[in-house]
Amino acid sequence: MTFEIDYLALAPELVVAGTIIAALLLDLFLTRSKKYWVAVLSVVGVAGGLVPIVYMLAEGGTRSMFDGSYVVDEFALILKIVFLVSGYLVLLMSVSYIEADRYYQGEYYFLLLSSILGSLVMSSSRDLIVLFIGLELTTGPLFLLAGWRKGDAKSNEASLKFFILGVLSTAILLYGMSLLFGLTGSVEFTAIAAAIPDLVSEPALALSVLFLIVGFAFKASAVPFHFWAPDTYEGAPTPVAAYLSVNSKAAGFVAMLIVMYTALPGISEVWAPALWVLAALSMTVGNLSALRQGNIVRLLAYSSIAQAGFMLVPFAAAAVAGSDLAQAFSATVVYLVIYALMNLGAFAVVIAGARRTGSGDIDDWAGLGQKDPVLGLLTALFFLSLAGIPPLAGWYAKFVMFASVIEAGGISTLVLAAIAAVNSVIAFYYYARVIKAVWLDTPSEELLARPGREYAGSIKLTLAISMGLTIAIGIYPTFATYFGEASRVIATGGG
Amino acid sequence: MIVTAGWYMGLAAILFAIGALGILIRRNALVMFMCVELMLNAVNLTLISAGRELGTLDGQVSVFFVLVVAAAEVVVGLAILVSVFRNRATASVDELAELSG
Amino acid sequence: MTVDAWIAEPVNWVFSIVAVVILFTAVRVVTSPNVVHAALYLVAALAGSAVMFLLLSAEFVALVLVLVYIGAVLVLFLFGIMITRAPTGFDEGLSNDRKLVSAAISLVLLGVLSWASLSAFGTDTVNTVGSPTATEILGDAILGRFVIPFEVVSFILLSALIGGITVARRDLTPLEEEERKAV
Repeated sequence: MTFEIDYLALAPELVVAGTIIAALLLDLFLTRSKKYWVAVLSVVGVAGGLVPIVYMLAEGGTRSMFDGSYVVDEFALILKIVFLVSGYLVLLMSVSYIEADRYYQGEYYFLLLSSILGSLVMSSSRDLIVLFIGLELTTGPLFLLAGWRKGDAKSNEASLKFFILGVLSTAILLYGMSLLFGLTGSVEFTAIAAAIPDLVSEPALALSVLFLIVGFAFKASAVPFHFWAPDTYEGAPTPVAAYLSVNSKAAGFVAMLIVMYTALPGISEVWAPALWVLAALSMTVGNLSALRQGNIVRLLAYSSIAQAGFMLVPFAAAAVAGSDLAQAFSATVVYLVIYALMNLGAFAVVIAGARRTGSGDIDDWAGLGQKDPVLGLLTALFFLSLAGIPPLAGWYAKFVMFASVIEAGGISTLVLAAIAAVNSVIAFYYYARVIKAVWLDTPSEELLARPGREYAGSIKLTLAISMGLTIAIGIYPTFATYFGEASRVIATGGG
Repeated sequence: MIVTAGWYMGLAAILFAIGALGILIRRNALVMFMCVELMLNAVNLTLISAGRELGTLDGQVSVFFVLVVAAAEVVVGLAILVSVFRNRATASVDELAELSG
Repeated sequence: MTVDAWIAEPVNWVFSIVAVVILFTAVRVVTSPNVVHAALYLVAALAGSAVMFLLLSAEFVALVLVLVYIGAVLVLFLFGIMITRAPTGFDEGLSNDRKLVSAAISLVLLGVLSWASLSAFGTDTVNTVGSPTATEILGDAILGRFVIPFEVVSFILLSALIGGITVARRDLTPLEEEERKAV
């Protein structure tokens, strides 16, 4: 049997794959002082991947290959944009960080690009094998990147912890997949969805669904499978932590939603309560733990766990209430888009601030606003956006989330909404604590005495892009709504 | 009367549980990793017996991919272990307490 | 089913014996206090699985398992044991003190999983030792319908290879680097 290959549909992946190979070859011919050219190439390649996506979005329609196991519809394209743009921002914020500390640069960009390629493949997957391989390429290189600061025992340890739990979650995920395959007789999501109604009473089916959720929850670091995340974020290089908190978390999260939404809607009575519990626990435990953190990267780690909980709320609520999943899906995608931008901005601020203060402790950031007013303002901007204060993008994410929950109706969803509301208040407290330290506390002599170095252009660009988009979406949310609407396409089965 | 698919699946389930036990009780990173291999092996056995029972090749194709990914993971895992041991000579995850949760 | 009919089938004998070997060696991987022994027991468990694959007529995958796992991965494990100088002798410090809780958790897992598997698949027959799957068809499937994951897997291997070398190799100290430049 022969299969038609639609090269336009594969163009974003092919561009990124070509960039990976080119980056690897270019690295061979460059001396250490010229290694930044690999970064330039990677950034250009990732931006180039966006071109065919925009073209396909303008053209519209759904492209399906290999018996519908690889589908490029608007939903997949939207996710690819999210992964490419956030990958682009992470690459930008890596440049000066990686260059300054004499890490291996060429290989760093190679691994980061490979991970981005994995997330692109994953967004188009509509069968278990492609999904698994895409997810594995997304997370595999990150085990190594987390340990990139080789001389630092903390980084090694972060990497080892991440690795052991990562492969364990892979094994659990695969066992769930193998049971699902055995029961339904297919690896394709549409065929699985068709076979589910006859199997609802089967205990093994419920088990396989639970195994899948546990596996994905590990990758998305949802509570109670989050314990690796803060340690890994703290030990990893900061840009890698940013990537883990956005791309890799989103990959696990999106993979879970795709499977639940396209393959397992027939058995939502099993996974809906599980997602409800995950959402409630992630919000509560993430926020309460964030309150106690003194290190800003750990604070962001717990905050991103909590944000993932918020992200899960619309979907879990709609599934529990049995209302329109498509609506919830688009709310979740809107939240994801906005979260990616503001969280990457916050991590860029952390990189710049750590350079300025020489420390990752919030106490050492006291008075940073006096020392460097622009950075102080940006800190306030991104942390207020994460807290959901208008007119920054974060408020719209929260608004969409609550609107979608209220639309779903029902007692259990209202309880979830109440938990989310309480958590928003708790979250505001610890985000405000950082802003207070930066603006209201008196700076130490030491901080004022530090030489005011100029920032690298790349980190300025990262901050400018994420700041611009965070403000733009906050004032003109229709832009983000477009992403949500486009993501509904998956509801129609993707052709 | 020949052993049914359920026997193979049951064997795989027991193997998976043994691997999980190993992850829980062992503290040596290498042995924990071996236990993950046991769990992956259980997955493979499930996939093959399911594929055989259903008369489809998808099971064997999946196993092929799982084997390749697992081999790549072994490389990654050993590289990480070597870098850990370069900085401190211990194999026990309990002794890695630089980062406290 | 009668016991006589069951005993009369040689496949059942092979299955039972190999199953016992797999389970015994798997338990020894988990309990053996000696890391090298654990690795060798893992070899036996994997070899047993390869026999099971053959019983299920998956001869290509069985050979891949033997070549890749027993041939390469286990050698890597042994190298890992040597390089990391893990204690090779008897070492009581290998297991931790949460044995009871852990045993309870995995017993529950064992019970639930095998019950679910048996209830779902217990009566489904497999025609064991039938005609082996033609490797040709398998190759067609992997390079046809599954060509995208096949290509993506090559990136997984490449990134594991290059990343692994980078992370594992010993960096030159600044002094050594100067010396190298001087030459």
